[in-house]
Order: sequence, then C-alpha cells, then structure tokens
Amino acid sequence: MATDPKLIRNFSIIAHIDHGKSTLADQFLLKTKAISPRDFQAQHLDSMDLERERGITIRMHPVTIYYETHRKKYELNLIDTPGHVDFGYEVSRSLAACEGVILLVDAFQGVQAQTVATAYLAMESDLTIVPVLNKIDLPIARPDVIIPEMEQALGIKPDEVIRASGKAGIGIEEVLDAIVERIPAPSGSVDNPAKALVYNSHFDTFKGVVVYVRVMEGRLHKGQKIKLMRHNTEYEIQDMGQFRPAMTTVNELIAGQVGYFVAHIKTLGDVHIGDTVTDAFNPTTEPLAGYKEPKPMVFSGLYPVNNNDFETLREALGKLKLNDSSFTYLPESSEGLGFGFRCGFLGMLHREIIQQRLERESNLDLVQTAPNVTYELLNRHGQTIMIDNPQKVPDSGQIEEFREPIGKISFLVPSENIGDIMKMCADRRGTYIRTEYLSPTRAILVYEIPLAEVIYDLYDKLKSATHGYGTMDYEIIGYRPADLVRLDILVHGKRVDALSTIVHRAFADTRGRKLVKKLRGEIDRHMFEIALQAAVGSRIIARETIAALRKNVTAKCYGGDITRKRKLWAKQAEGKKRMKQIGQVEIPQEAFLAVLDTSEEK
Amino acid sequence: MASSRPPWIWPTAAYVHIPFCAFRCGYCDFAIAVGKDDRQDEYLRALEAELTRLGSPQRIQTLSLGGGTPTHLSADWLDRLLILLSRWLIVEPGGEFSIEANPANLDDEKIRVLADHGVTRVSLGSQSFDRNVLRVLDRDHAPEDVPRAVERVRRRIATISLDLIFGAPGQTLEQWRADLRQARSLEPQHLSTYGLTYETGTPLWKRAERGEVNPLSEDDELSMYETAIDMLGEAGFEHYEISNFAKPGYRSRHNSVYWANHAHFGLGMGAAKYAEGVRSLNVRSLEGYLTRALSGQPTEFQSETLPPHERALETIGQNLRRAEGVVHSEFQEQTGFDLQTLVGPAIARHVGWGTLEADDDAGVRLTRRGRCVADSVIQDFWKPPAERAT
Repeated sequence: MATDPKLIRNFSIIAHIDHGKSTLADQFLLKTKAISPRDFQAQHLDSMDLERERGITIRMHPVTIYYETHRKKYELNLIDTPGHVDFGYEVSRSLAACEGVILLVDAFQGVQAQTVATAYLAMESDLTIVPVLNKIDLPIARPDVIIPEMEQALGIKPDEVIRASGKAGIGIEEVLDAIVERIPAPSGSVDNPAKALVYNSHFDTFKGVVVYVRVMEGRLHKGQKIKLMRHNTEYEIQDMGQFRPAMTTVNELIAGQVGYFVAHIKTLGDVHIGDTVTDAFNPTTEPLAGYKEPKPMVFSGLYPVNNNDFETLREALGKLKLNDSSFTYLPESSEGLGFGFRCGFLGMLHREIIQQRLERESNLDLVQTAPNVTYELLNRHGQTIMIDNPQKVPDSGQIEEFREPIGKISFLVPSENIGDIMKMCADRRGTYIRTEYLSPTRAILVYEIPLAEVIYDLYDKLKSATHGYGTMDYEIIGYRPADLVRLDILVHGKRVDALSTIVHRAFADTRGRKLVKKLRGEIDRHMFEIALQAAVGSRIIARETIAALRKNVTAKCYGGDITRKRKLWAKQAEGKKRMKQIGQVEIPQEAFLAVLDTSEEK
Repeated sequence: MASSRPPWIWPTAAYVHIPFCAFRCGYCDFAIAVGKDDRQDEYLRALEAELTRLGSPQRIQTLSLGGGTPTHLSADWLDRLLILLSRWLIVEPGGEFSIEANPANLDDEKIRVLADHGVTRVSLGSQSFDRNVLRVLDRDHAPEDVPRAVERVRRRIATISLDLIFGAPGQTLEQWRADLRQARSLEPQHLSTYGLTYETGTPLWKRAERGEVNPLSEDDELSMYETAIDMLGEAGFEHYEISNFAKPGYRSRHNSVYWANHAHFGLGMGAAKYAEGVRSLNVRSLEGYLTRALSGQPTEFQSETLPPHERALETIGQNLRRAEGVVHSEFQEQTGFDLQTLVGPAIARHVGWGTLEADDDAGVRLTRRGRCVADSVIQDFWKPPAERAT
C-alpha cells in the first residue's frame, strides 16, 4: 500500500566535507530504527570502502526512512548531493528530485564557500532550506558567531537554525520534525500519466542496471511497460523497491516517492541520467528537463607497472566504466611505459579516486602520467588535429597554430583575498572579466584562464589563498591560439616520453628547472650517476644530477638469523614493483606526477 | 647415517646462546636477559631439555657460544654449562670451539675453565680503545682491560679475535685509525669491524630520533670502512668477509657456515637453527624460553621451509658476503640452480656498474666498491625479472 503523497518528504543534505553529514544520516537511521544498533556501522551510507577510509563522502546511498510524528507516519527520502567540485554536475541532479534541503554547518568552522554555492543552487531551485548547526556539543562550538554568519551569507533567519549534534545525538528529533513541518509535500498527482526522473543508476552483477527514480507524476508498478523518453526505448519493470537502506521490494512507487526499478537493462549506457520514465501505453506529453552530460576535462595515461597486466587493466577499466559513465579510456602506447590507456576524468579528485579503485579492486600496480587537457593544433597542411597527449605534438616546423582550451572561472571569495586571487590569476595567464560584490565581505570574481593552468594547481592555490573559504566553478568557453611548446625530460640521456608536458613558452624554463629538481628527490640513488635534463626541442634548459650510491651495507649477520634479513630484501624488492625501469634507471610512480608538485621554489 | 648428508642439509655446526648480561648497551637489539642472573640454573636445565630433543649426541665441526655475555656468570656456572654441552655436542678433533667474551669480566679462572673444556678461540668484545667512544656505546670496560685480557687468554687459548665498532656518534676518522693501530699491535689472528647500526627501537636509535646524538655522514662511515680495509690489508689480514679480517688460516670456520648458507643447530633463547631445509627461531624472551623448554614443548616459535628458488636467492645473498663470492660449482650442487640461468642479467648489470666481478670458471664476487653497497647489490637479485618497456 502506497503512502499518501501528503505524508512524503524528499530532502538532501548540503554540507562541507567534515561537517558531519554522514554522522547525522547515521542518527536518522538509528532514531527511526531503519537499522538496529547491532548492525550499525559508522558512516553507514558511505558506499565505498574508499569513502569510509578517507572520511570523505562523495555520494551517500539514497535511503527511505519512516518517522512518526503528529500521530502520522511520514516517509522521508534522503537523496544526497556530492560534496566536491569535480562532481558538481551531480548536485543539480539530486536537487531536482527534492523539495527541500538540510543545510548543515559546523558550529566551530562555520559557513564554507562550497556550502554557500550549493545552498544558492538550492535556493534558485526554490527548495526549502532547513538550517542546522552541527557539533553544538563541542566545547569549541561558537553558535553566537556562526549563526549571524549564516544570516549574513545566506539570509538564514537565526530563529530557524536548529542546534544539533550528530555525534551526541542532540536535536535529531527536532531536525526530523522540521523536515516534516517545513519542507512541503511533493506536488504531483497520482492520477496523471506516469512521469519519473532518472537521477542515478548503478550496475549490479545479479540484477543488471538498477535505475534510481523520483516519481513526479502518476505511478510506476511491477510488470508495467515503460518508456525511456530520450531514445523511446521500452522495457518492462521486473522488480522495484526502496532503499531502507537495504534494497526492499515494493509493488509500486507513486507520485512523490523515491526508489529504484530493474527492467532487464543491460548496460549503464542504455540509461541516461536525467531521462524521463513514462508509461509506454499512456505516456506523458512533456518530458522533464534533463541534465547536462558531464564531459571529461582532464586526461592522463594509466599504465600497468607490469606490461603483462595490460589486458587485466582493460577489463578493470571496463568494469569500472559500468558504474561510472563519466570517465573515458582509449588504448595508447608510450616508448617508456609500454601499453596503457589514455583516460579522461571530470577533475583531479575523480582521477585520484578512479586510480585507487582500480588498484584496490583489481590488485593492479599502476603508473599514472601527469594530467593534461586536450589541445587543438593546426598543421602546415591546413588540418586541425586534437592533441590529448603531449607525445602527439609534432615538430615545431609542422605547427601552424597551437590552440588551448580556455575556462571561464567564477571564484567566490572573501573580499579581503581579492588581491591575492587577482595575482594568482595573472601568474596563470588569466584575463580579468569582472567583480561582483555579494556583501561587503564576499565577492565573485570572474576570469578567463587557460584550462591547463586550472588543472595544474589553481584549486589548491585558491584554497590556501583563502584559508579554505574560496570556491570556484568553471566552464569551457572555447579554444584560443597560444605560444605553446613541448617540454621534454631526459633521464640518463634518454627522453622519457611519459614525462613530457605541454607548457607556455614563457614558463618553460621555470617549469623545467622545477621539474628536474623535483625528480631528483623522487628517484633513488643508483649504482651510477644519473643526469636529469629538461629540454625544449634540442635546447637543454635545466639539469640536475643524482649522485651514485656510495654506502649501503649491513655489518653483521645475526648469529645465523638470516630470515630477518631475507624478509627485508624481499620487502624492498616488493617496493620496487611500483617502479618502471627506463633504460637502466628505476623510476617510481610518484615521479611521473612530479610535474604536479605545486610547492614554491626555495 | 647423518654424517653422509651434505652440510647444507644436516648441521656440522652448532650455536649456543647465553643471554645473560649485566645491562643492555644502547645499540643492542639481541635477545638478552638483564637482571635475571637468578635464573641461571633454570637456564642450564632448559638447555639440557632442548639438547635432549636432539635425540643423540651430535658430532660437529664447529661450536660457537654467543650472547648476551657468555662470560658474565661465574666460572663454576661456565664449567657446568661446558660439561653439559660436551655430552651432546661433540666437536671433532681439529674442530673450532669459539666463545664471545667481555674484556671486563674474563678472569683467569674463567679462562682456565674454557681452556680445560677445549675452547680454541676467544672473540673479545673490545669495540674501541677510546674512552669516549666506549662511553657512547655504553660499554662497561676500560680501554686498558683489552690488552690485559688478550695477554691472559693468550697463555691458555691459541686463537684470539677482536671485535671493533666504527661509526659511533662523534667518532673521528683519526680515532678510528688509532683503534685499528691499537688492535693490530695486540696481534690477534682475527678482527671483526662492524659499522654501528641504529636498530629500530634501541635506546641509541631513540636518541638519534630525538636528535640527541648525530649519526655520522655516509661519507665518513665509508672512509672508516675503507680505512679498515687498507690498514688491515697492509698488516697481512685477508678481508675474507664484508666485516671480517683474518691472518691466513684463521678465518672463523663457524661464521663461514652461515655465509655458505649451510645447516646449523641453534640452542638457547632466541637462537636460529637451519636443518633439513627448515629455518626456525627459538622464542626470544627468557620466560617464554624457560617455560617451553622445561615443560617439554618445542622452543621454536616460528619455522619456515623455503621453496628452492628462494633458497637459491638466499644462498646468493649469503655467499656474496665472502671474498670468494658465489662459486659456480658449489652453488649448482647446493641449490640445483645454474647461477647464470637464475640471475644472469642482474650479474651482467652489476659487472657493468663495477659492483661485481665475474669469471666463467670460479664464480661471482663483490668488487671493493661493491662491498660498500652490498645490501643494494644483494637486494637487486630479489627483484622480479626486470620489467622493461619495449
């Protein structure tokens, strides 16, 4: 029996990393007895081990809980938003499935820029905001400072702020009550033709594709013939249910409800996030407004340390792609690294996560090359070619025009940091567009900056310049010609193609010097002296030397206990597995990322 | 019959560990027992129980007593220990019977007991002749104790070896040269020079971590090592193992068993044994060892049988410490592997870098430069076949 739409509330939690989103969600589960304390595992809804380990939440599982208040039983659906800029495109997805959000702010750290950006997005979508001040039990909590800040930055009324602690279980019922009382019930009608929003999906080995939906109008039921409106593909619903938090079968989902269905859909590629599901026989005329497809922005090479693992890597990438359609991969080869793949990612965090999942889930040792953007190149024959890999840059004589992608960046920063940000942008070949003041203390700064400079270190620099308060968003506005060159690195006299990067000519010397210096720290001493050189074309622009190893000998063998020594040898040999041998030199994986090092020169 | 089996399968050597010490030196991470002298009788009974598990008396070529400080307890106790050992471990005529001794407490009576029981070699823990260096190392003897001990031992026991440590915090190259000159002047037949190692967890390591002592630079340690090689070479010592020097005919036969990767018995707390392809280690705590031995349980807490491939690599690692290195014919017979087939490319690399020298008939050995980086060379043989891009 389906719930009355009036008794449904759909909401999201907006919070900065570390502000206690997962802990609060845990409390909801415990308070509503969705899980027993016995089965409880901290950060229950964080799906990946990786998330639990790093204490960050990229995206929580959706969950349906039941809460009784005012003598009625309410169905509350929590649909989470990802908390990182790389996954910003997913925020709008989640918000479109909700009527309200909990805005969770740390009672010590206060409002963070990331939260502000997402909260503005929620306000623009006319969602109700339930402000919650978390960690109120901490001795360092400073509600007197933070609540006025919330008022100033977001126009939150101080008397609406609920004081809570996810850890201590304070104010949990008040928050649940506020969800019921303040967030409106969904507005759709059960009598209209079915219309449901696909807001996510995942691949399950046993069930096939599991489609996550928010029903906006009408109803979906088991056995129903449905249509995915984007390509007019028809399926029959085999199974459906809600996340409570375990997948629990129900017979139907009505307007306002959130859940999943399974319909013999074979690959994730067959389901478009943002698509509209309707009844095949009684379709709605108007599909829902969809989402923008995320495009990979950052590319880097992924190579197995052991060349024999190439096929295993291909399979692993294929498997990962099943659950994350936002990254791309194409085979490529490198003189130094052998056979691997050029992969495209949404951003730097996405890239890091994909690599860690690959290594963890497939037990592969990987070498990753420095990331780069896609360049456009006009050659002497009048052909335009796309360059997604520095190795593909032809000789300078072949190049008519070298073009790079430009990003339009909006920074949301404290006014006092505007000067630093402007200097940072100038150092990165940025073009100033405009400034807008949101309040006397906050401003939006707009710049056009080459995308390569954005991925290089802009995000980290923004964070340090603004003590973590700055946030940024960007979109690609096109390609522009630039004086670009390929910077090569020679190790022991041999060019290592995987260490090549594309840089602006004016920065080549500085980057080259910094890079070889950094490499010197990453490569162990060998039995012989190693020269490290940076070059543009045939011109050597920087050189460092790694001296030969002089002494490494254990004096004593311990009364015949050589087991200990042998284990040490074996362990050290194991450590070398993450190295690539190029010529006679063993290069550790970290060295290939040396170009990313953003530390200032001493 | 046991004696017909090759020496890498069935032991021809035995090591007996005596853990008692007056105190723990800052750099020491051996299995020792401080302030537990009252357990000396139990220890003898435990050793007896462990020896009994041998089944029958064993004929051996070398017997070595180490510690701890084997000479820490009384002459009477030493006497009882040696009587016990002589019932189970029978050193063949012409064999080597060696004991480690502290110059501070080796009196004439103890020397008499040792000599009466057939000890042929005394290894004196002299470490340094410099008062400051001895203090940094926490040693309890004075520089002048060493010549006295040498003189006393020499009257009864033929072979003397001196242990020296270099690279102590604050030690200068000049001090080290003086140590070497002093040691040479005492005319031992054998010398061991050990570079000080900061073993994790030891008091000395902690002091270094806290910045209270400053380890010497790599270059300083290296010059000390090379100085030892030169000065002892001039004095007619053969540099027959990375840390060991001997007059012709006086190499340590017992330690040579380890470097040959041959089998050996090991008895007493924390002792390592290697027999019939099985490596095992006795428990390292005194209580644990006494309890196990006296209740008739096995005293080993870990044992492992290496697969042939790893056993061969381990043999390379041990053999390379010797001046003669890995000898082809010996290696083939002992491990069943052809050296060239097993690690040919690694050998070729190191020959190219000047760290190994190879000749087709004899075998492969470290060069002088190779000895200074021996750990890196040996470790290189453990790598999986080199991963090279095409």
